[in-house]
Parts: sequence; C-alpha cells; structure tokens
Amino acid sequence: MANMDVEDFIQQNRALAEQVETFRGYWESEKHWEARREFILRNISDYEDPHLDQLVSLSMVWANNVFLGCRYSSVLLEKVKDMAEGVVVEDAPVFKTRDEIMKKQKVCLSRTHPHTSCVSKSLTRFMFSSLLSVSDGTRCSQMVLPRFLTSKILCKKTCF
Amino acid sequence: MGVPAFFRWLSRKYASIVVHCVEEKGKECKGVRIPVDTTKPNPNEVEFDNLYLDMNGIIHPCTHPEDKPAPKNEDEMMVSIFEYIDRLFNIVRPRRVLYMAIDGVAPRAKMNQQRSRRFRASKEGVELVEEKDRIREEILGRGGYLPPDEIKERFDSNCITPGTEFMDNLAQCLRYYVADRLSNDPGWKNVTVFLSDASVPGEGEHKIMDYIRRQRAQPNHDPNTHHCLCGADADLIMLGLATHEPNFTIIREEFKPNKPRPCALCGQMGHEIKDCQGTAREKQGQHDEFADSMPVSEQEFIFIRLCVLREYLARELTMDSLPFPFDFERSIDDWVFMCFFVGNDFLPHLPSLEIREGAIDRLVNIYKDVVHKTGGYLTENGYVNLERVELIMQAVGVAEDNIFKKRKEDDEGFKRRMKEKRKRMKDQRGPAYMTTGQFAPQALGRRGRPEAVENARHQAFDMRMQHNKDAAQSLKASIKNGGNSSAGPSGGADGRGMKRKAEDSDSEPEPEDNVRLWEDGWKQRYFKNKFDVDVSDEDFRKKVVRSYVEGLCWVLRYYYQGCASWKWYFPFHYAPFASDFKDLKGMFTDFEKDTKPFKPLEQLMGVFPAASGNFLPTTWRNLMSSPDSAIIDFYPDDFAIDLNGKKYAWQGVALLPFVDEARLRASLAEVYSDLTPEEVRRNSLGSDMMFLQKSHPLSDFIHELYRTESQEGTEIPAELCHGIQGTLNLDDDPILPDKPVASPIPTLRDITQNHAIGVKFKDPHFASDFVFKAVLLPGAKMPNKVLKPGDWEKGNREPWRPQLGFNQHRQQAHLDQSALSSSRYYHQGNVNN
Repeated sequence: MANMDVEDFIQQNRALAEQVETFRGYWESEKHWEARREFILRNISDYEDPHLDQLVSLSMVWANNVFLGCRYSSVLLEKVKDMAEGVVVEDAPVFKTRDEIMKKQKVCLSRTHPHTSCVSKSLTRFMFSSLLSVSDGTRCSQMVLPRFLTSKILCKKTCF
Repeated sequence: MGVPAFFRWLSRKYASIVVHCVEEKGKECKGVRIPVDTTKPNPNEVEFDNLYLDMNGIIHPCTHPEDKPAPKNEDEMMVSIFEYIDRLFNIVRPRRVLYMAIDGVAPRAKMNQQRSRRFRASKEGVELVEEKDRIREEILGRGGYLPPDEIKERFDSNCITPGTEFMDNLAQCLRYYVADRLSNDPGWKNVTVFLSDASVPGEGEHKIMDYIRRQRAQPNHDPNTHHCLCGADADLIMLGLATHEPNFTIIREEFKPNKPRPCALCGQMGHEIKDCQGTAREKQGQHDEFADSMPVSEQEFIFIRLCVLREYLARELTMDSLPFPFDFERSIDDWVFMCFFVGNDFLPHLPSLEIREGAIDRLVNIYKDVVHKTGGYLTENGYVNLERVELIMQAVGVAEDNIFKKRKEDDEGFKRRMKEKRKRMKDQRGPAYMTTGQFAPQALGRRGRPEAVENARHQAFDMRMQHNKDAAQSLKASIKNGGNSSAGPSGGADGRGMKRKAEDSDSEPEPEDNVRLWEDGWKQRYFKNKFDVDVSDEDFRKKVVRSYVEGLCWVLRYYYQGCASWKWYFPFHYAPFASDFKDLKGMFTDFEKDTKPFKPLEQLMGVFPAASGNFLPTTWRNLMSSPDSAIIDFYPDDFAIDLNGKKYAWQGVALLPFVDEARLRASLAEVYSDLTPEEVRRNSLGSDMMFLQKSHPLSDFIHELYRTESQEGTEIPAELCHGIQGTLNLDDDPILPDKPVASPIPTLRDITQNHAIGVKFKDPHFASDFVFKAVLLPGAKMPNKVLKPGDWEKGNREPWRPQLGFNQHRQQAHLDQSALSSSRYYHQGNVNN
C-alpha cells in the first residue's frame, strides 16, 4: 500500500518531491531513505516552509531511533511514533544502547561480588517485559531484543 | 593517532629511538625552593632550539589527573599547568622558541570523534556521581568516615573545548604566566614565546605543524633547527617524520602500566570506590608529614629520537633494482601513509588491519613486493596516487580471509590460556608439592644454615613412605565422602569439599558478535549488520569506499599541506574491507575550496550533548532539549553502542547521528542575536600571539610599532629572530614593558616589574594552491648515526657499545681522584666501622 501511494504522490507533486530529495543524507541507503521520505511526505502538509526544518528534524529523530538505535525523550518519541503511522519498516536492525550495556555490566559485576549491594537487579533485567529470556541462572541474559515492538511498525529480528 | 597500541608497537620494534630524560631537580634550602638555572647547558647533552607544546596533553592530566586526587578548584589547576610547563622547560631548555598550542576549533572530520568522546564522558560523569552518592550513603549509614563533600561541582572535563569560559580563563592565565617567566626567569630571556590559544582554529598539533611547515618554506629558515615536540599522541611521530627536518625529537611522559589510582570517594590509595569502607586515613609519618606525598615515583619523561627512527626505516625500506630512482624521503612518506590504515582520528580503521597483528609489517612487505608493479611511490608531497594504492589494498584483500581466521584462533588460544591460568591461581595456595624433613625449604642467610643433608637415601625412603601413607588415607577418605575432597596431603586443608558452583562465571559472559568474521559469509553479515544493506548493493559499497578514499587523501593532505577542507568528514561509522577497494582511479579529484571552520560556540553545539548545555547561552541550550527545536535530533538522550565483539562499552563504536551543518547554522541564525558581548568575543576567531623579553633584538622593533600605532601588518626582519618570518599586528590590550600585569590567580602575585612585550603574530602567507615540499632542505646536516652498522663485526675486534643518550662520547659513570683515594682510605681499615 505504502509504496504505491508514495509513488503517486511524487508523480503529482514533482517540485515538492524534488525539494524533499535534497533532504537525503549521503549515508542513507535506499531502504533507510525510502522509509524516511515516506515519513516526511505523510506529514508534509502540516509544515509550512519556514518550519520545514522541524519536519526534517522529526524525521531524523524517527529514523535515528529506528535505524541507529538512539533514544530521545518520551514526549518526542511518542510524537514521532504518531507521525510515523502507516510507515512500514521491514527487518529493522536491533540495538543495545549504552545505558543498557552499563546496567548489564553492573548486574554481572554484582553477581561475582555478591556482598556489594547493587541497583535493583530485577528492575534492570526485566526492562523489556515478557520477551526477555534468561538462558541460565548463573549467566547474564544475552538475548538482544527488538527495541520496541508496536503494532504500527512491523519489526522482524535479523536472522544472522 | 587514535591508536594507543601504535607507540607500544613502535618502541618495541625500534627500541633505540627511546632515550630517558635527565631532569635536574630544584633544591630546597630552609623551606625555600631554589629554582633550577636553565641557562646552564642541558644535562641531556643536547641543545634544543625550539620546544612545541601540545597543550591539551598537559591540560587534561593537570585538570583531571588519573593517578592523584583532583585539584580542588580552577586556580589550583592553573598552577598545576604552570608547574608542568616549568618542568618541561627545565628538561628541554629551548634556546630560541617556545610554542604553546591549545586546541582550537577542529576540522569537521575530527568533530565526530570529539562528539563521541563528549557524549560518553558526560554519561560516565553522571554514573560516577550516582555511584559516589550511593556508596557515600552506605558508608555514612554504617558509621564510617569520609572527608566532607567539598566537591562542589564535579569538574566536567567537557569544558576543555574551545569556546567555553574555562578555555578563555586559561588563555588569560597563560598570558600572565608567560609575562611572569619572561620578566623573572633568566632562562627565558632570549626565548621567543608563541601562544596560540583556543580562539585560533585548528588542532594544537596541527597548528604547530603549520608553523613549522611555513617556516621551512621561507628562505631564511635554519634547516638545522633542533625541534622538540611535547605530546603523548602517537601521531606526533608521524607528524615529525612528515616535516623532513633532520633534528626532530619528541618528548612524552613515560607510560607506566598499572599505576594505582586514588579512590574517587575518599581520596585514599589502595582501593577502588566500590570497595571503599570509609575508614580514616592512616597517618603517614609520625606527624602525618608524608600525608600529601604519594610514595610512588614521579612521572618521568622520555625522548623519542626521530633521526634514529629514520635510520631504522632506512634499513627496512631500502629497495634495490627499482625501475625508478630510489628516494628515501619518498619512502618515509609512503610509510607514514600506510600507518594511517591501521588507525587515525578521522576514519575507522579497516577490520583486517590491527597493529597488534603486525599489520604495518604486512603492509610494508606488500609495499616492497608490489612497488615493482606500481611503477612509483604511493604519495607525493601529501597527494595520493590512487591506482598504486589500489594494488596494495587488493593484496591485503586477498589475505583478509586468513587474517580473520587466524585472529580467531589466536583469541581462542589466549582465552584458553587465561582460563587455565586463573584455575591454577585459584586452586593453589602454593606449589603442588612441598618437600619435607631435611629437604624442606629453608630461608637463606642465617649463619650455618642450611646444613648438609645426612643420610639422604634414608630420608628419601621416609618421604616416599609418608607420601604413600597419605595417599592411601585420602583415598579412604574420598571413598567415604563420595568423591568430593581434593587430593594431596597439603590440599583440602580448608575443607573445600563442596564443588564451587558457577566456577565459570568468574569469566564474564562472552561478548556477543553477530558478524563473526572468521566464518564464511562474513562480508554479507558485516554489511547487513553494520550498514543494514545487502552485500549485493554495489552502489552503496562504492559510496563507502569513495568516502574512505576521500578520507585517506584528506588525512594525508592534513599532515603534509594543512587542512584541505574544514567541512569534509567520513559519513559512516564503519570502514569497508580492503577487498572492496576496486577501480579507485579517478574516484576522487579534489575537495571543496575555501571552506571555513565553525565558530567556537557553533562548534560547541556540534560536539556537546544536551547534558553539557550549561556551557552555552540559554537560548542556544534550549535548542538541545526543546521538542520544538529544529535540531533536536542531534542530541539523543541515549545512543546505541556496537560492541563489535569487545567486552566493555567504552571499546565499542558509539552510533551517534551526524550533525547537519546547514540545519545547525539555520537554527542558530535565529538565536545569534541573544549573545552577550562577552559571548560574542568568545565566539570570534582570534590570533596567535608572540611574546619577548625586552632585551630580545626584536623587542625594540615591536615597541616602535606600538609607538607609531601602525595599523597594517608588518613583516619580521629576518635577521632579528633567527630567521623566523611572519606578520605582526598590534594587540588591542597589549602586554608592554613597565606596564604592570594583573594576576588572574589569587595565590599568585601581580607582576609590577614587567619586562615582556606582546604582539599578534601570523604565519607567513602562501597562496592557497602552494604545495609545501616534503624534502630535506639544502644545507641540512644529518645527525650522527646511532645504530650499530650491519658490518660492525667484520671490521672491529671490540664489542659494540650502544649509544645511550644524545652524546656519542658521553662520559661513563666513574669515580674521580678524590673518590678513589677516599675508598682506599676506608678499605685499609683506617676507620672503625
């Protein structure tokens, strides 16, 4: 559905489409750019010219979140999630953020130093609800999870 | 170079390049410190002309030291910096020039690395504060003792970035310092002091390079100037070689591994913050007089002689029967270029090239093999010949598969040995078997012990019998216990009947690696995992390769000619493979011309996370956190780290988004008007400064310029300053002789009798398309050879005596006449001992 709509839109709004093309980052692959372009086109009617930069910025917030693993404030993430409604990303990459890695290392450390009190173990390890699977009692979990899983964005774990 | 292992590899392979520094220490008499007289000859038996200081290598360890408790406030930091510079001045004793370069706004290519560091540092700082607070609570709760929390505000090392107030204060303090030393220290009397502070764009080491390069290109330069460059970066070695100056030495701190660090919470040595008990500090010395002196050796310095490195490289790179004339200087340039492949600050290094695997040796061997095919050198004056580089890359590409497999084997072997070692350490408190009876170990040194063994065979028989008895007993016992006790008469004493659970968990969980370069299909997985593209997407791969090739050209140009483009950067987080370097010819022509660096405050917006926003004006800071900001995407709260098979977060790649310059400027345009005059000043580009003592030959000339209030730039007359050239301009609030200089530091006195004069300085100007030649200058005399000649054995009977310092004919340690007669006197028993 998405692709056809986008194609049509581009056909009918040549000038606009060209302008949007200039927003493509040099490092963006086809897949990343197409997703972000769709994000922009879906919302472009809400942003008049002087505020176009804001739309670009929000599209980057969304793309950085999906493709680069960045986290922003929850207010911002909510907003872009809404704006991204209808954009389908297949096979999104999966990340571990720095905070997650640090917490995990703290948990592991406290396992080998049981006398040291440590930040709520249970809380950190179960940050991502039921999808966390713990391989065995003595070792820290090594499962990498999809960063978020919403009904709006289809997300398949990479198979490698 | 962003490769710390580089120096270790270099100094192991070419050991004679390192010379330990002789440092004359100041004496103390009745509590008064007597400064060292630096006008005396240098105890290192060498006289240096110019000393260049990469100030950031001094600022960081003085403001947030790793091996001592941190200074309490900014003033202490400044004093610490002054003392450090004094120490260096004392060791090196430059006779002509002292050049202090502080990092200014860096080229965009470097800003990405700076951004990554600052984002990480910010997070680490927050974590440290949290942990400190937590442990502090615990300790106080248990009734322990901790020094009162005078730590007002944690020192955010991110303030060591051009454009902040701190850097502004530092510049002020350094001006005071220079004026003071020029006025009061006789060793500084004839020295020309240059100060390039954070308001002048460019990295410190490259400002120094620009200075040297431009002086070399003007006809009055003394080709035998002896340079000494201070800094810890390994790429200073590359820079030094790139100058092709025959007398170039680097001075740096000697790295001592595993130095103890004080606990961040209570400031004591011997434990880390997580083990802090909050106990009172032990008294050091009867009245705690040794309290502040750490019983560890002071930091020592070493010299790195590049002329000796050149000798080594001459042996390694000399090639015979070439189809073109051999030019050693060109070979050095090619060697420098190849070192970039294993790591530099601007590009991620190729996955198949690691220093510790001998990548440089591999490249040199390929280079020598391939040079007959290439038909010439890889580089010329800092410009790269892409076709020839492709041949080298293809040769590496062919070996890539094997490199990855071998790397995995070596890793596995290493892990296995470490595991076995750990097991050995854990299971034993001593040797597996101790001899007993007459054969038992005895401490040496006591009179008469150990005595001769009597009846050895009887003793041996007894020992055997005893051992058999013990073995039989423990077998009986183990049958009873069900196989849980340990064997041997001495083991098992601590009742370790229970097998330790989770024995393997002392090893932290295996770092995960989704790419697994040692297994087939690594290329697909790498491109999928790192770039999220299919390996069949040739266009994308070509893009990455093109950017990388641009990067190589940019870096080489940066070292040899100066910054080719302030805007260029490598827009990916990972490098391609060597085997991807195909069809390089014509891939890259030239960089965009006439690019300008960011202004200091703009640069701050480009490298700081939102958490360091306090260094910026309020409306600017707002752009970092407001959801309505048009650049909010540049400032994520948290970012992904790709561990890349490594264990710890700091080793991984930080996946931060790249800053879009156009959008940044557009957003800032709206808030520019909010800058206070102070901030406008901090945001402007400054000028290098030159300072002299009033008896220096050039000083009167400058004084005249001030008197006549000349507004245009004036060239330095060549004969007044050792052939140094440049353009002088009047300073707005100059330092002038007999004009008192106020001290910005409360603990230091104002300078009432000032003898220094200061003026703005600019390097000699050259056209933008001028090419600085990477050649030895006419009139340059090479220093004496130091290494043992290959044919020494043939021509000489006596053994080779290596040269240990700068002086070939240095005096061996010896006793002089008076010492000899004294020792004879004592030996003849004339004095009762």
